[in-house]
Amino acid sequence: MKYICQVCGYVYDGGEEAPFDSLPESWKCPLCGAPKGEFKPQEAAPPAGTEGKAQLEGELGPFTAGQLAALCSSLGRGCEKQYKAEEAGFFRELAAWFTAAAPPAEEASAESLAESLRRDVADYPALRAAADAAGDRGAARICVWGEKVTRMLSSLLDRYLREGEAMLEGQEIWACSTCGFVWIGEAPPELCPVCKVPAWKFEKAEGGVKA
Amino acid sequence: MKKLAVRNLRLCTKDCLCLYVCPTGATDTENSVIDPAKCVGCGVCAEACPSGAISLIPLEMPPQQPKTEEIKGLLRAFARRRTEEEAAARRIGRASEKEGLRKLMAAAAMSTRLVTEDVLREAGFMLPQCPEVREILEKLADEPPAPDFPEETLWRLLGKLPMPGGSGEKKEISYRCGVCGLVFPLTEGETPECPVCGAKGDKLLPLENA
Repeated sequence: MKYICQVCGYVYDGGEEAPFDSLPESWKCPLCGAPKGEFKPQEAAPPAGTEGKAQLEGELGPFTAGQLAALCSSLGRGCEKQYKAEEAGFFRELAAWFTAAAPPAEEASAESLAESLRRDVADYPALRAAADAAGDRGAARICVWGEKVTRMLSSLLDRYLREGEAMLEGQEIWACSTCGFVWIGEAPPELCPVCKVPAWKFEKAEGGVKA
Repeated sequence: MKKLAVRNLRLCTKDCLCLYVCPTGATDTENSVIDPAKCVGCGVCAEACPSGAISLIPLEMPPQQPKTEEIKGLLRAFARRRTEEEAAARRIGRASEKEGLRKLMAAAAMSTRLVTEDVLREAGFMLPQCPEVREILEKLADEPPAPDFPEETLWRLLGKLPMPGGSGEKKEISYRCGVCGLVFPLTEGETPECPVCGAKGDKLLPLENA
């Protein structure tokens, strides 16, 4: 049976000699580095819960500082793409202010973050279903990259919680500046396994946290 | 529709054909940014560029794709959760002395931010110049969230973003120059003059837009 990577779409076909089940638990996707557990049988039915509702209540109230930060950095990018450098700079300045103003999550821990990311991964199919039902192409599209990128981040954090610092020793961490895919290695991948941009689009994560 | 030529420096191979063909000298700059004040949007440079580094972008963007209230609400709720994750990642990274965790949290903050940006774009805020964005910015200008909020930046930004229903309402007319043959666009109200040969008046023929 063939198995497909839910992050990058790589298909494992070991034939009779090396069936998927015979691979060690430490085996990783050769393309994107996702762990074995992120693979599913290629011909499998959609996972249970696809029809279910997201654990989300729609909300249209005022934006939070965190949302305004992301909104402004997104719009800054939108200006940059239109070669409006001055407007882009203004939006980035506002984004930086809101990022600093976003209330810190008091009880945040790596464990609670991991839990929240798992909830996101679980919610994507329902978001996707709502987008499809509304005929909203754009919303459906972002569910595809978003789910893959979040799945990867979630599995990396889960692994870190099991293995600790040893997992990252002598390694660099890279994030794709287009889709947010996170990669661990000495150098970034030649192509982003999720969105296919070239290596120079990757940014190295520094030990200090970027504003 | 009036357009502006823009150059992608990553593609530009400095063949400089744009310098030869630009009727107004807009491509002749030292910082490689095509001068928007001089560009008439004729597109001759983009056609001549052998490396495909120049493209034309419209000055007026179309309205955004319609969104249902349900999708907007779901995406905004999802975006809020993702921004809380980002803030958590920043905090965990700052509070930790483990280098690996600090890096992982920096990557998590970057990754989560990018995903949230995508979500908010699809929640109806794709274009910086759309009325939905202006409404949010104007509200912030009316009620600044804190004394140290960079109000001046906000006002300067509002001054640069087009007013809904403002100058964009003017019609675009294309002219063909009877002397040199150039076809060029003008906004209604401007005095037509050929940017190449300087011909004016009845030498210029307004074209019916298809």
